[in-house]
Amino acid sequence: MRIFFATDVHGSEVCWRKFLNAAKFHKADVLIMGGDMTGKAMVPIVAIDGGWEVTLQEQRTTLSTEDEVREIEKRISDRGYYPIRLDRDEIEAWSADPSLVDARFKTEMLGAVERWMALADERLAGSGIRCVVSPANDDMFEIDPIIERASIVELGEANTIELDGFTLVSTGWANPTPWNTYRELPEPELRERIDGLVASVPDPHRAIFNFHAPPYGSNLDNAPKLDADMHYVSGGQALIPVGSKAVRESILAYGPALSLHGHIHEGKGAVTIGSTLAVNPGSSYEDGVLQAAIVDLDAKKGTVKRYLLING
Amino acid sequence: MASETSAAPSLFLRNATGLVKGWSGFDAFGYSFMSVNLVTLGMFYSLAVFAYVPTASPVLSIVLAAIAVTFLAIAYSGLIAAMPRAGGDYIWQSRVLDGIPGILTGAVVGGVASFLVANAVGTGEPLNYALGVVGIVVGGLIGRLNGGIGFILAATGWWFILAMWAPIYGAILKLEFFQPIAALLKSPDGVSFFGSDNGTLVVSIITIALTSLLVALGMAGYARIQRWCLWAGLIGFAIMVVLMAISSQADFKVAFDRASENLFGVAGAYDKTIADAAANDAFTGSLDPLAMGDDLGATVSATLAMIPFMLFWILYPNWGSTLYGEVRGSGDFRKVLRGMLGGIWVTAVLAIVFVLLAANTFGWLFFNATNVNFINWFYGYTTTDPTVPVWSYPPLLASYLVDNSIFQIGMIVLFGAWFLGWSGTLFLSSTRMIFAAAFDRILPEHAAQVSERRAVPIMALLYIMIPAIVVSVLYSYSADFRALTLDATLVIAVTFLGSSVAATILPWYKPQIFDNSPVAHLKLVISGSGLIISVILAWVIYLWLSDPLYGIGVGNTNSIIFLGVVYGAAAVVYVAARLIRRSQGIDLDAIHAEIPAE
Repeated sequence: MRIFFATDVHGSEVCWRKFLNAAKFHKADVLIMGGDMTGKAMVPIVAIDGGWEVTLQEQRTTLSTEDEVREIEKRISDRGYYPIRLDRDEIEAWSADPSLVDARFKTEMLGAVERWMALADERLAGSGIRCVVSPANDDMFEIDPIIERASIVELGEANTIELDGFTLVSTGWANPTPWNTYRELPEPELRERIDGLVASVPDPHRAIFNFHAPPYGSNLDNAPKLDADMHYVSGGQALIPVGSKAVRESILAYGPALSLHGHIHEGKGAVTIGSTLAVNPGSSYEDGVLQAAIVDLDAKKGTVKRYLLING
Repeated sequence: MASETSAAPSLFLRNATGLVKGWSGFDAFGYSFMSVNLVTLGMFYSLAVFAYVPTASPVLSIVLAAIAVTFLAIAYSGLIAAMPRAGGDYIWQSRVLDGIPGILTGAVVGGVASFLVANAVGTGEPLNYALGVVGIVVGGLIGRLNGGIGFILAATGWWFILAMWAPIYGAILKLEFFQPIAALLKSPDGVSFFGSDNGTLVVSIITIALTSLLVALGMAGYARIQRWCLWAGLIGFAIMVVLMAISSQADFKVAFDRASENLFGVAGAYDKTIADAAANDAFTGSLDPLAMGDDLGATVSATLAMIPFMLFWILYPNWGSTLYGEVRGSGDFRKVLRGMLGGIWVTAVLAIVFVLLAANTFGWLFFNATNVNFINWFYGYTTTDPTVPVWSYPPLLASYLVDNSIFQIGMIVLFGAWFLGWSGTLFLSSTRMIFAAAFDRILPEHAAQVSERRAVPIMALLYIMIPAIVVSVLYSYSADFRALTLDATLVIAVTFLGSSVAATILPWYKPQIFDNSPVAHLKLVISGSGLIISVILAWVIYLWLSDPLYGIGVGNTNSIIFLGVVYGAAAVVYVAARLIRRSQGIDLDAIHAEIPAE
């Protein structure tokens, strides 16, 4: 069985489309998305006299035709941002009332996930390819039911999914971050959550962990150190481990065949922890590059046969 | 559609992992400043070899080298902004130099390397060309494979050649720390030991242990040390500048003669050094720092010939070329660039100040004489012992102006911060490259393993430590091998050339990457800078390989064979990895194969 695992696409349309095509391209049987699907930013395209104005990456552009607007919307979406058309009055209202921003964010995120699920159903129907999507700490809870409603895509979070003799166990909950995101738990509670999930796995050695947070101190969790004001320390050169101790301990305790992680975009790598291959393909979603792990599993032996980290 | 740069970005962000407020431009400057290290690289080599091109203008050569490297900084800042988390030459070259550019780059590297090696081992003229053609074909085939030429250029520049930098660092530590300390402690045995081949090896091993320890400490811990070292080093430099500024040449001559007699038993050492250099080292003086000579054309030509020497020191403002974080704009490009330019130009200005003060206080004739007198012996160009048995390390010379051994030792220790704050990056860079190669399955999986308790990359360290020890033995016991010092810069320059070519073609060859980046509006600036620095680096590499002045080119069989081994080993590792992985059912081409979106 070949698994194609990607994570942290953060709203990038092009990355999601590549993800859906990846199974055919790399002859994978199962697609797994490790979470953090939703974007982090909205880019307003502001109506002005005779056209529109947009500032993308500090570059202000004036647009005069609908085709130009659509082209820039695609660029924005491919980077993982949500393009939104507004007029100046709305911009001023948003600046004065953050709840309007929050509401629009919610609309955009949920709308995008709806679209993505529909696209997945359309592209994967009849292919025999399975697709598991598990939201993670940056994804609001409202996206879970949307994924659950999809016909082809299976919801990973808190479910155990049988995959050719292996059991996929997923959680997008992570140890606390400085950003206080949707799905964070203190380490002891995270461990309890993992233990609860693994309890339903018939053979933990034949488990595939799909835990968004990487194991602590594994090199898959090296992120730039931040100071109290959320500025990088040492120009971003000082990397520190920020992964989860609960995840590490559970890998060592249960010894699954494979452990899939994301969360730390800079933490691309593959390491062996105990008898488990742990991978974090990293993420370069803003570049439109889909970083992923291709893992071949031996159903008879219950082991990993081979793996490859790719930039697709 | 019309575009212009906006003063304030219009963007709504939500609370999400990874979004940070930014980073300090000073930190970026500090990293670049320590990489373009005025003391450990500049004083150790580039600013000590003016006598080898006596008609070159010293100050102009510093300025021209800084201008050249400015284009490198622009090209690299562009690559960093366009592909930030990719983080380095290996990935940039692997992603950009594929298809025709990959084939061409591979063919050029393979062809040149094969021809030069064949020529060096004396295969004879028809066979030279035949082997050159074989190199073109093999290099082209490797370049055709996704990631092939990227691995060869990055592995040689960020891994293999750093093994040679280990004993060079060792030599720096020996000449700038252990020997001066031994001399100031009036330990002739210490001076003699550290001046011996065994001493060189011991200090190289100390250097390897120290840099490995700093990797084990982790960058977060080392970054704190670096910051302290930056300030300590600058304080030391300021003390040196003040001492030199307030002292006359006569004061220095008295101080040097007194110290040389007291420490080494050499009487009249100042004049004797100049006389010995003239007698034993063919020393004829050097153009004054600000002079342009009577023949401007000849001076400019000679000054251009100094640039390959200058690059030993000033080529590395991009050493920490990684940028993290998301939702970034071109402001980060400017910040990265400012950091690098600060590293280049602050260092260049300090170098000019130093050179002018050296001429004023040490005396330009003496300064160059004492350098050539020691360097010729150290690199085996002559067998005559230098006038004084330790190198005239500028902070040591300046410290002689205060007749107090505690102060003198304090100065050497303070200047040691320039070494400590910079040396840790040696193995850090190579371990990152080794990790990347392991993740791409070119190296075995264990190369990327870290220890359970402290996350120390033990195997990656061994991958660099073992070759570093082997090369240190060669360096310590063979003056011929020491004379290949500039090869250490040449190989890195070739790697940088690969990335410069990547920066040149990126906007046109991979517009889907570049046009989607924060620097999309700087297409001509980045591509143009890439082209300019590509031409400069190609020219410098040509000079290194063809002009006997630099001692590492076609006239030096050892050098060419050494370079052939470095590039050949990388090619063998890559081809072997492809074959082994294929037998395991792993297709390395898949690593960089772009998945269609539609």
